[in-house]
This record gives sequence, structure tokens and C-alpha cells, in this order.
Amino acid sequence: MTSLDFHRLSNGLVILGERMESVRSVSFNILTPGGAALLPDGCCGAGSVLCDWLFRGAGTRTSRQLIDALDGLGVHHSASVNTHHLTLNGALEADNLESAIALYADILLTPRLEAEQFEPARQLAIQELAAMDDDPRSKVMMLLHEQYYPDPLGRPGQGKTQELEAMTAAQCAAIAAQLRDPSRMIFSIAGCYDFDKVCRRLENHFGDLTPQRHTAVRPAPKTIRYTHHPNDGAQVHIGLMTAIPPISAGHYYETMAAVTVLSGSMSSRLFTEVREKRGLCYAVGARYHTLRDWAGISCYAGTTPDKAQQTLEVTWEQFQRLKDGITADELQRAKVGLKSSLIMQSESSGSRAAGIAGDYFLLGRVRPLDEIRQAIERLTVSSVGAFLQAHPFETFTAVTIGPKEIRV
Amino acid sequence: MEFKHRQLDNGLVVIGEINPSAQSAAVGFFVRTGSRDETPAVSGVSHFLEHMLFKGTETLSALEVNEAFDRLGAKFNAFTSEENTVYYAAVLPEYLEAVTDLWCQLMRPSLRQEDFDIEKQVILEEIAMYLDMPDFLVFDRGRELYFGEHPCGNSVLGSVESITALTSGQMREYFTRRYAPNNMTLACCGNADFDAICRLAEQKCGVWRPDQAGRDLPAHRSRPQKRYDAKANLNRRHIALYSPSVSMQDDRWYAAKLLSVIVGDASGSRYFWSLVDPAIADTAMMDIAAMDGTGAMCSYVCCDPQNAAQVEAIVNGIFESLVKNGVEEGELTAACNKVLSSIVLKSEQPMGRLVSLGFNWVYRREYISVAQDVERIRAITVEDIKNLIAEFDLRGYTLYSLGPQ
Repeated sequence: MTSLDFHRLSNGLVILGERMESVRSVSFNILTPGGAALLPDGCCGAGSVLCDWLFRGAGTRTSRQLIDALDGLGVHHSASVNTHHLTLNGALEADNLESAIALYADILLTPRLEAEQFEPARQLAIQELAAMDDDPRSKVMMLLHEQYYPDPLGRPGQGKTQELEAMTAAQCAAIAAQLRDPSRMIFSIAGCYDFDKVCRRLENHFGDLTPQRHTAVRPAPKTIRYTHHPNDGAQVHIGLMTAIPPISAGHYYETMAAVTVLSGSMSSRLFTEVREKRGLCYAVGARYHTLRDWAGISCYAGTTPDKAQQTLEVTWEQFQRLKDGITADELQRAKVGLKSSLIMQSESSGSRAAGIAGDYFLLGRVRPLDEIRQAIERLTVSSVGAFLQAHPFETFTAVTIGPKEIRV
Repeated sequence: MEFKHRQLDNGLVVIGEINPSAQSAAVGFFVRTGSRDETPAVSGVSHFLEHMLFKGTETLSALEVNEAFDRLGAKFNAFTSEENTVYYAAVLPEYLEAVTDLWCQLMRPSLRQEDFDIEKQVILEEIAMYLDMPDFLVFDRGRELYFGEHPCGNSVLGSVESITALTSGQMREYFTRRYAPNNMTLACCGNADFDAICRLAEQKCGVWRPDQAGRDLPAHRSRPQKRYDAKANLNRRHIALYSPSVSMQDDRWYAAKLLSVIVGDASGSRYFWSLVDPAIADTAMMDIAAMDGTGAMCSYVCCDPQNAAQVEAIVNGIFESLVKNGVEEGELTAACNKVLSSIVLKSEQPMGRLVSLGFNWVYRREYISVAQDVERIRAITVEDIKNLIAEFDLRGYTLYSLGPQ
């Protein structure tokens, strides 16, 4: 069983918690305004550099002392960048939580950001981007998001080689300061913790921060239909994406039901039509991807060159068929699947820490698990059907990587 | 947590780690068969057969199977390795018996010819997919190079040629021998009624006939060698290292696990400070691959092609230093804490426990609770690791490297 906690510091920093009675572990996320869409022009990838550079020494600790301190507490630590945030994650046995929070506060508030540590951090970001060329399946989805979303919302967190090569330590250090804006930070925690203690700790560390001025992002839509990136590999990696309302528009559950019918599991339409009946692919699947004000359903399929055209056609046909509605049996399976995922996520501290932070950022509040369960139960064939009729999938944008182009 | 165990007359073992307060439950069939149990003529059959089990029985079609799982909201899948084929599902407690019933039925598949023909296309697509994943390829080819003629070098996927030539008759023959109840374990975890699972197993699986399902366990003699291959469309150099290590039956597994974390964890390890921190490689990791009667310590490094020689020199230096000086107390403490955190985080969910529970039984005929795991990890000393390094010399590695021209 779980219960929700909420507190906001006077400077705006939001603290969210979900207590889980049955675990001895705890996971936390610190979301900061360092997402790829919030970076200055020409700095694409600065977040990726910072994810590394921030950990290269903080407060009184050198790079090695900091990593030793985290490892000594058994903290599983990582940092990542998406469209809206640069997020620091930690997960550990609950006993060491307060010491871990103190280390993360150092990392965000007093990172050393030494000049000689900048170059290896930047080089690693460049290399990780280069490594994506050897991973066409991931790369095609990165390129797809960039092509689908209006600029700067599609900018890749991993960055762009040219911009990373020109980036300076001073630019990145300025962005590190931008992260410390309490009015745009969210701290989320799930598992075994004492909320009062956590809030006191965070007040001590972050209470003196003051909100920063910032300008709103103005997205500029794109109209690219298809791009192909030649690569002499074994498969054509196909990414396609099509429009759907974002979670904030209020159709989240209908969208999830539709995506589950399309691709939720092995009896879904894509799996059945593309893989089971025709043997066109091993990997095929679609998922709902939502930002705060924009969203899409993205789809991946990997197939050998001779089957690529048919794979695209059969796949897209499944999207288009959705406007004719779904069956009662499909909806029933989707509901059970969604509810079962929900309860299983409620057992994982990492999933819940990410889930409550995501909810708060996207919706301005955390949905209790029971509310989500009830909303899933309320779905009907006609409510999902009406939604799909009102939002038919008429067009898509596509990216392919591989030895052969397709016709779109 | 309570451990339960029962064996049916035909040899099928049923085990459970029961936790009535869990929100979910997990169940799985562990079949002791994989690519090492194949002859060259049927290379890839274990993995292909794993796919075919989802294609149904005499009374269930493939679509009906998938719909049945989805009606239960099951998170289900299967995987095949060199020596195991594992089918598993995580469900809410009220669906555990139904999903177990379904798995029991699927363990006696119909293997229809038309399903076999279509699924062969899917397997060939899967082989193609992995050809575009160099980080997977180097492990696969590295293992083949390291094990040589030893059956653990057999490819799990098989080749385009072996899969194309494989017949459903050959698969049937393999199935009959390997999916015998005395070669299988049914395991459940979490909020489960063990007696009900046993009754179900008796009712559905009690009639299965035992068979000769042995396994050759030849000794492996490592002959270190190096191979550098080119693939024109690659950008990075992908390097895999294999050296001898402990088997799954060896109690020194815990020391080997900790050594792999000290040397090759993603953060704060020897590889991290010497290779990743200075940006000589973007990824460098080590892990223990303990197997039935044998084992290997495996490393993976991904780097800019021009740094490849430097990477090798640095890795050699790390291994030399380990042989000469062993590991430090502080390194061991950090590694212990990291492994303990992983165990605690993983055991949050019944599904996170299922594979450990099953493999401990399959390989060791032993139940090891989370608390016992923690105790055994905490008991490892710097001296234990020194002894391990002395017996399994990391310097005697086989290297497989794949990169651009």
C-alpha cells in the first residue's frame, strides 16, 4: 500500500513523496530546468556534458572522493536529460538516505566544475553520441523525435556533434547555474523514508535559493514527412510518429487504451498483424510519448530490406483502422493490462518516484493510484471509440536508417 | 518469506518463495536446456522452440494464447541462453493460478507446421536485428572464440543457414528429450498459494513422462587468443574479453561478483577511473558469467577506434596490478554496498526474485534467501578475492574486437 506526501518550500521548490510500507529501499529524483528544449541555441548537448561534469567533484570533495562517497553509501546514481529536465536519480537502502541527499545537494549547489575536468566530460558526450551510430534502433527514435516535435522540443538530450565540439566550459557552467531555480525544481521520493526529515533536509540545503527569471519556449512546428539515413546494416530501422493530444488535454486514459490495443502486448493488433500473421519483424511496437503541451504516438519496426515497404504499410494500416473503434474484448484486455501494470509499478520505488514527478510536472498534481484505477475502469468501448473518431490518424512523419529507402 | 518445495513422481520440481504481503506474484518454468545442449545440425533450436511454445497447443491457437495472457493482465515473456530456457509471468495474485495453468498447457505445444514456417521468418529477422547490434555481436562471437569446441561456445540464435535448414521434425525430437519433467522446475514467488500451485502442477503436468535429459559437462581449457574483425558501417570499436572464472556451483561466486564490480562497475571501478573518467572509452564494464560446471569473467569496452590499443594496454595494467596487489579494503566495501543495494532494489517486486530463485535451484539445488545473500556478500574478505585472482588469472584472456576498417 502507498500514501502520498506533498510540501512546497517558500522559494517554490516542490517536494513529492509516496511512502511504500513493504520496502526497505528508497528512490529519489531531482528534476531541474536543464532539459534540451531549455538550453540556449548552439548548446545542444550541454545537458549531457553536465550529467557527467557535475559528478566530477562538489563541495569539499574531489571527483574521486565524491564518487567514492556515493559508492560507499551504495547509491545507484545516474543523471539524464529529456526535453524539459535534467534529472538526477538516486536509489539505495533507506538507512543512508540523508547522507545521500546531502551529497546530491553538493552536486547541484556547489559543483566544482573544474576546467581540466570539462574536456573529458565533453569528450564523453561526443563519444556517446558517436556510439549511437552503432545503435541504429535507438538512433532512429532520437531522429524521429527531433523531426516530429516543433523546435526546440525535439532537440536531442544527447546533443549534436558540431555544437558539442564548439562548446565551452563557460557556457556549460552558466547552464549549471540555471539548474538551481527552485521555482522549476521538483524533488520526488518513493519507498521507505520519513517525510518530515526529508523536508527539513531539503529546506536546509535548498531553502536559500531564489527563483530565476526565464523566458518561455516558443515552439516552431516542422513539416518534414520523411528522411532516410543510409547505413549498410542488416535491417531497415523504421520510426514513425503521429499526432495525439498531450496528457494535459484530458484524454490520457482513452489514449492509453488505444495504444494498448495497438501495441500493449502480444495479442495487440501490431504484434498480431505484423509479426504473428506475416513474420515481417521481430521487433515492432508503439508507445505514447507526451510532453506538457505536445504529444505523439511513436512506433518502431526493424525488418530486412525486402520486407520494409510491406512492414510500413501493414503497420500504418493498424493505426488507421483504429478510427473504426475497438472491440469489447480488446478493451477488457487493455483495462486488465493497464491496471496490472499500475499495481506492479506501485511495488517499485524507482517507478513511483519517476511517476509522481512526471504527474506533477505534466498535470500540476499527482494522481493517486486509486484515481488512475477508477479512471481505467470507467473506460467504455464508446468513450474510446468517440475519442478515436475525433482524433483519427491521418498522417505521420517517418525516419529510416538502413540499406534501403521506403516510399511514404 | 517462506520457502516451499515439492517434487512430483515424474521428477518435476515445484518451488516457491511465498510472501503473503506482496501486491503481485510471479511464476515461471525453468527448462534446463539451451544452445550447449544442441548439435550443429539443430543449432538455434532451443531458442526457436521457445518462440514456438507461444504458438499454442492442440486446443489453443497462437492468438488465443496471447489473448489468454492479456486477459489476465500478465507481464510475460521468455528467454533462452546457452543452458536455460525460462518462461515467466508476473500477475496480480488473483490471476496466479490461471496463468500457471496456461503455462502448464503451453509446455506441451502442438508445433504446427504453418506456425513453424511463419515463426522461422521471425527468427531470421531476429538474427538480422542482432547483426545491427555490435555490442551484442562482440559478446556472441567473443564467447564462441573463447569456448572454441566446448558446447558453451554454441550460438543461442543459430545461423541463417542452420535455422533455414531446421525442420519441425528435428524440433519435435529435441522437444521430447529436453522438455521432460525431470529436466524442468516450476517456480513461484510473492503472494502465492503454494499448495494450489502444486495441485495444479500435479493435475496438468503429472502425466508427463520423464526422459533421458542429461547434459555433457566437458572441462574447458582456455587457450587465450585475439581476433580483430572489421565491419565497414561501424563507427566505434567494440571489445569483449573472456577469461576463466567460477561456475554456478562454486561458492566463490560471491567473491567473483564483487571482483567484477570492483574492476568493471559503471561507476567508481578500476575501469571507470582508468578508461571512462579520462574519456579513453565511453563504456567499460565487467561481469561474471557463471555457468554449469564452468564460467567466464567477461568485459566489454566501447571506444574510439584510435584509442583501442591504449585501452588494451590500460586493461593489461589493471590486471597486472590486481595480480600483484589484490584489491583494497575500501574498494571491497563500496562493491559490497553497491551489490547489496541492487539486491534490495531488485527484491522490491516478486518478479525481481523469480530468476534468482529458479537458477539457485536449477544449478545448486539450494534455496538462498535475500538475507542469506546479504550475509554471504558481507562475509567476503580482501583475502578471498586475492585467492580468486590467484586461481583465475585475468591476464589469460581471449579478446574479440569489432570495429570499422
